[in-house]
Amino acid sequence: MYFAGIDIGSTMTKVVVLDEGNAVLAQIIGPTGAEHRRLANKVMEEALLQAGLSFEQMTVIIATGYGRFNVPFADRQVSELSCHARGVSMLFPNSRTIIDIGGQDAKGIKVKNGKLLEFVMNDKCAAGTGRFLEVTAKTLGLRMEEFGEISLKSTRKVAISNICTVFAQNEIIDHLSKGIALEDILAGLHSAIAGRVISMVKKLNIEPDVVLTGGVAKNAGVVKAFEEKLGFCVFVPEEPLITGALGAAILGKESAHEYLLEGKPISSKERILKEVAFYG
Amino acid sequence: MSEHNLKGIAKAQKIYSDRSQRVKELKVAGAQILGYMCIYPVVEIISSFDLVPYRIFGSIEEPITKADNCLPTCVCPFLRSALDLGLKGKYDFLDGVVMAHPCEVAEKLAHIWRTYMDPVYSFYIDTPHATREAAIEYHKESLKDFQKSLEVFLGKGASSEKLKKTIEDYNEQRALVRELYDLKKPDPPLISGVETIEVLESLMSIPVKEGNELIRDVIEEIKERRGGPAKGARVLIWGSIIDSIAVVKLIEDLGANVVMDDTCVGSRFFFPDVETTGDPLDKLARRYLVDLKCPRTFIESGIEAGKKDYAEDLALRFGYLGDYVKQWNIKGVVLYALRFCDTHAYEVVSVKDYLSSLGIPSIYLEHDYSATSLSPLKTRVQAFLETLGY
Repeated sequence: MYFAGIDIGSTMTKVVVLDEGNAVLAQIIGPTGAEHRRLANKVMEEALLQAGLSFEQMTVIIATGYGRFNVPFADRQVSELSCHARGVSMLFPNSRTIIDIGGQDAKGIKVKNGKLLEFVMNDKCAAGTGRFLEVTAKTLGLRMEEFGEISLKSTRKVAISNICTVFAQNEIIDHLSKGIALEDILAGLHSAIAGRVISMVKKLNIEPDVVLTGGVAKNAGVVKAFEEKLGFCVFVPEEPLITGALGAAILGKESAHEYLLEGKPISSKERILKEVAFYG
Repeated sequence: MSEHNLKGIAKAQKIYSDRSQRVKELKVAGAQILGYMCIYPVVEIISSFDLVPYRIFGSIEEPITKADNCLPTCVCPFLRSALDLGLKGKYDFLDGVVMAHPCEVAEKLAHIWRTYMDPVYSFYIDTPHATREAAIEYHKESLKDFQKSLEVFLGKGASSEKLKKTIEDYNEQRALVRELYDLKKPDPPLISGVETIEVLESLMSIPVKEGNELIRDVIEEIKERRGGPAKGARVLIWGSIIDSIAVVKLIEDLGANVVMDDTCVGSRFFFPDVETTGDPLDKLARRYLVDLKCPRTFIESGIEAGKKDYAEDLALRFGYLGDYVKQWNIKGVVLYALRFCDTHAYEVVSVKDYLSSLGIPSIYLEHDYSATSLSPLKTRVQAFLETLGY
């Protein structure tokens, strides 16, 4: 049996294909974009090609993420909260708290035995999300991917006091005009993101092990800022973007086993690999 | 079936989709319609003068474009929306309005409405926020003033007998609503949360006696029908005004059943009766001030003892929620507040603490009162239901 998880995030779409022994047969990451959302099937096809499998060989497909209801070929939709909890638990069995920072939201997740216990999510605000870094990259004329390395050189990080993405840009420009070194500004920025997210996740009582996921976890400066503020090490998966899709695939596998035990059909509907029809 | 033959739930759905249709018909036939905002303007007094009370709502579907000239944007989006509809002429059929003091913004809105909408008749009830005797006495005097102003407006005197009769009609409606809610106790419930809102909003859009007939038909219908709700997580929704089915539909579309509520479009408004013995104004003052459990009214324990105990305080303020949890077999609670609704947002921590003490999980959702911003709520609710094991 083969299982797929497809995680359509606000910025990136991720697919993971697993076999019964939890071996990852395919792992695809591509931009979501305006058109890509209509083309979840293309990403799926790419994953199938990588796995060397046909669509018909998929036993269960679970969709998650912001665009989970736009996947007509999925058997079920599961929230990204449960999927991250499951995926991270497989990679880090001792994880208790997951902090996921994506393109448009930040989540705190408490997990036990692979199950979602409690969660918090940011409100309708870009501060403390990947968007905050994207906007800053534009302001500075840099690539967001460079931020982490540059900020690690900082010796005197500045305080970015404003928690609003728009006003923080003013502060950054002000610091630049005063001749403050870029690495110190970026270190301040990372510290501001960590502070903002931690204050939200604190509602859940942050217990180690803490695992950082989502695109922002790729930024070494942000990881360092989290460790400084929390006072202990945090763990980052090798590929922090795919934990949602991975969890979805595992949940698919587990549900298949459950259904088999109960003697129920595993896939309840006819699946067709096609794009979602929005109108009509 | 032609429109006029509609009965029960189909009729309620028709009224919900075009709330003012019935009162507009009545207006053509000579009736006068009095709009009221929130649950504190006493509907018994309105009806006792043969006026038809009509609850003013907003619309989560309609973008707010006109109200921003008269109200700041950082206040209750429901009230902004209601005023916006008014400014767009959607409430022009009203012969007057009566508003109260549920919160600061609504108080200001009462006056802003008067200024910008210029209704023929308007009255503002300065509802106190405490439940001690002096406050009840003050409230009773305010209700007397309300009665007097209607006497002047209509050129006819108030009748205590008529008021008592009207109270009985409303108490009958309340008993019927409680009976309807009893049919939400089985698993699965006999009526969905969405249908419940459609029925209750209909009651707030038509004369009381027509409403009683409607709800009787609904009760009869749901006892008989097949194809009601399927089993699912039994959820209670608590919070500020939910005047659209959208939020409850979102929860029920994810496989749960909203079997109980504590909102001012549901049990909060309809459950408490008015005592029928003694001075009706006094009993009305008590019912609206003491028995309506809205966070806008301040209640605390331990005044006599001179000390406050948090657990005791919570039990006094939210004990009724504990009863709901037991009687309706609630597995999880959705706490819903509109953005900028301080009145409810302040209460969230205490309600959560109380529910936790009962071992009931809850989730807090904040919404900006727009139909286009529901998908973040959907993710949260779905994840919450998953934590409940659904």
